[in-house]
Amino acid sequence: MGVGPSGAPRAAPRALLLILTLLLAAAVPAAGQSTRSASPEADSGGEVTLRVGIQQEFDSLNPFLGFSLASTSVFRLIYPTLTTYGAEDFSVVPELATDWKSSADKLSWTFHIRQGVHWSDGEPVTAGDVAYTFNRMMDDPAAATANGNYVEGFTSVTAPDDRTVVIRTTSPQATMRSIAVPIVPEHVWSSVDDVAEFANQRMPIVGNGPFIATEYRPQQFLTLRANEDFWRGTPNVDRLRFVNFENSDAAVQALRKGEIDVVRDLTPTQFDALRGAENIRRVRGKGRRFYEIVLNPGAANSAGEPIGTGHPALRDPRVRRAIDRAIDREVLVERVLGGYGTVGAGYLPPIFEDYYWTPPPRARRPFSIESANRALDEAGYPRGPDGARHGPAGRPLDFEFVLHGDSSTDALVGEFVKEWLSRLGIRVRLRPVSDNQVNQRTTAGDFDMVVSGWSVNPDPDYVLRLQTCGARPKPGGGGLPDSFLCDRRYDELYARQLAEFDHSERVELVERAQRRFHRMATGLILFYPNALEAYRSDRFAGFMLQPTEGGVITAQQGYWGYYRARPTEQARAASGGAGYRSAAFVIVGVALLGAVVLASVAARRRRTAEHRE
Amino acid sequence: MSAPPNPTGAAGRRLAALAEGWRVYRADRGGLFGLAVLSLVVVLALLAPVLTPPAELDVTRAGGAPLRPPSAENWLGTDESGRSVLLLTWWGARMSLLVGLSAAVLSMLIGTVVGLVAAHFGGWVSTLLLRLTDFFLVLPALVLAIALSTVLSRGVLTIVLAIGVTSWPQTARLVRAQTLTVETRPYIERARALGGGHRHLLGKHVLPAVLPLVFATTTLTVASAIIAESTLSFLGLGDPAMISWGSMLKSAMDTGAVTAGAWWYLLPPGLGIAVVVLSFTLCGRVLETVLNPRLRGERR
Repeated sequence: MGVGPSGAPRAAPRALLLILTLLLAAAVPAAGQSTRSASPEADSGGEVTLRVGIQQEFDSLNPFLGFSLASTSVFRLIYPTLTTYGAEDFSVVPELATDWKSSADKLSWTFHIRQGVHWSDGEPVTAGDVAYTFNRMMDDPAAATANGNYVEGFTSVTAPDDRTVVIRTTSPQATMRSIAVPIVPEHVWSSVDDVAEFANQRMPIVGNGPFIATEYRPQQFLTLRANEDFWRGTPNVDRLRFVNFENSDAAVQALRKGEIDVVRDLTPTQFDALRGAENIRRVRGKGRRFYEIVLNPGAANSAGEPIGTGHPALRDPRVRRAIDRAIDREVLVERVLGGYGTVGAGYLPPIFEDYYWTPPPRARRPFSIESANRALDEAGYPRGPDGARHGPAGRPLDFEFVLHGDSSTDALVGEFVKEWLSRLGIRVRLRPVSDNQVNQRTTAGDFDMVVSGWSVNPDPDYVLRLQTCGARPKPGGGGLPDSFLCDRRYDELYARQLAEFDHSERVELVERAQRRFHRMATGLILFYPNALEAYRSDRFAGFMLQPTEGGVITAQQGYWGYYRARPTEQARAASGGAGYRSAAFVIVGVALLGAVVLASVAARRRRTAEHRE
Repeated sequence: MSAPPNPTGAAGRRLAALAEGWRVYRADRGGLFGLAVLSLVVVLALLAPVLTPPAELDVTRAGGAPLRPPSAENWLGTDESGRSVLLLTWWGARMSLLVGLSAAVLSMLIGTVVGLVAAHFGGWVSTLLLRLTDFFLVLPALVLAIALSTVLSRGVLTIVLAIGVTSWPQTARLVRAQTLTVETRPYIERARALGGGHRHLLGKHVLPAVLPLVFATTTLTVASAIIAESTLSFLGLGDPAMISWGSMLKSAMDTGAVTAGAWWYLLPPGLGIAVVVLSFTLCGRVLETVLNPRLRGERR
């Protein structure tokens, strides 16, 4: 490896220097440019952006179509509703409607609309906009996609003057005070002919709420700006940005690095891993969801014709109750949820204290394999010679358990249930399928057992309705069934609670409906998972939780969490351009590195060239 | 190396060829290493039910604390439900090998039949089969496999089918080329002149001549099939109840093992895939040299 003693040492530094200078000259203007382009954000020092990491995509920004959790939480921020749920305890509070009253027969409701409220393009918000929104949903089937259930019982919605809306219903409905339908501006939407095809992505979106949507990049982010004219007052943060992440680990890493401020839907492992992390505070909220296993009680459509492939033995409530006894909910909460959840009880989750109901000791079905076995013996499902139980007709108890293939919770629950039921002489075949297939098979009744779960609203009507005969699928398609319960007594209790306006009376009826549901055991409520979130405590001092006790930041029934976020002084002091400045440093660094590499390559090439000479 | 005494007859010739093959194979250190590792992994995988208690894979009976780092009790730590990662990796090897091998065999069967038939019969049969092969060749295999495993019900068979059906075109092309060369040889012509039918020609003369090459390709296909299996399982298209290296990686991601810093949950399945795939590739490459003497010169 002899190198020419004279030429090389002189040539190499010269080449290196030359290239370095050239590259630096090229890199510096580029860096300057990138800082300049960021200057609007950097100059307006003191502006605070609240960045929220989400793992769900916005299914639609059209409030008539979007029903994913991500979309509906955005609609609450950019469109008004008649009323909303208070942050403290989910009580109904005025929003666009300042007050409301019903007629003596409870069939006619009058809402008074707030004065001096304007859409973000300056037009006033009137009763006409409200009437237009509801009428569009009643007349146009496409507009009823997301919130059609609210207008089902409406006969007419009129606006006698600019400040008054009158809604007439066919029967008394206790849900009238909590209609969570986003109200849209008539002057924008009357020109939309086909709601089903309208993406509503012209920015900024004309609306009225604490925030205004200003920029949207599908699968990347949605940015909202604070609405300074919001009637309740300007929000504490200047900007709100929802950032999409492919998986939750990536979102957590971004939180750790300070790239986002709030992350939601943490797994128990992640939540534990963030314990004691610097500048990160965790929020463990009681969830609004319940997680259940549906046992097919003999699915039928709304015409009463049997549909699906349910196992006949599951039509026997005694079999369903025996299966319930063979499931150890405490173990599931401990092992599947890592302790972050509440053991399942009646139906509605404990976050709604009024309606939460646990079976009394007499009706309870505690975990006991022996008593489950005894119950099946008595019900006439004897064990065969191989230990497997079979029904009176000789068909073995062999159930297909449909699971969400992408859910690790489902996979674990499936394993546990399979093992427990095998001790009863019942064979369970796990069928993990895509989310779409789970929904299709549930609606078609093509299952023996299936995992299900719903987020519950403060008003329980929506999820209570799922178990009625009316929720069964129609022969031509449509319908949103859950457990195909369709029980006369349950339906009667459901109808009575809907027409009951006295709160304590209604609570009593809802409890009786839950008792009936528990007794029939078509849906086994396993647990209520906690909502696990975390936020940067160096940038935010706190958020308004809903409810105040054990509440959540993001998955609220309202906009309180984002609206009343409290940024720290540190967040205000840090200028928004930091990200761009570091990008400039990176560019310069990369350029320097490239220069060094290029220079050394050039030097070596030169060396070998000289060597050849 | 003791050569068999007086090699006479077909059996003797075959034995001698085998001995010569082994001599060439032995000379390659990489090939020997691959073979050794592979034998070890296969033996361990086969003996898993004998050497380890399968009950400990049952989540309802797992006793350990969730996501613990390696310790004297659990050498490779535990997963999110308290099972030993060592045990999971061990049993995962069974599924990864099983799926990899069956998918490779399936792809080999399809590829060989298509290649043989296309080359032997020629004409419109060949045109038809070759266009079909081309069609599958240009189709992105992973996308097709994902589509297949979404449509079909989840399970081992679906994964095997999805990989097998998408990975045969290379084999088919290779076999066709080899068949074309073999069929020009005089002994085939002689057999044909003596009245040998298609079945006799293909079964007695062409297939035996093509088989060694097919064997070498299959060894290489196993490697890519194992990777494909892991990919599909990682994307959540496998059966979550079945333990394979890909599904281990998926549950590690799903439960947030990265955030928790649980390297012991991610490394073993990842290294397992890397080592087994490397071994298969090493063996396959050497087998190619053994069976195709023309390659020998180039490799030295």
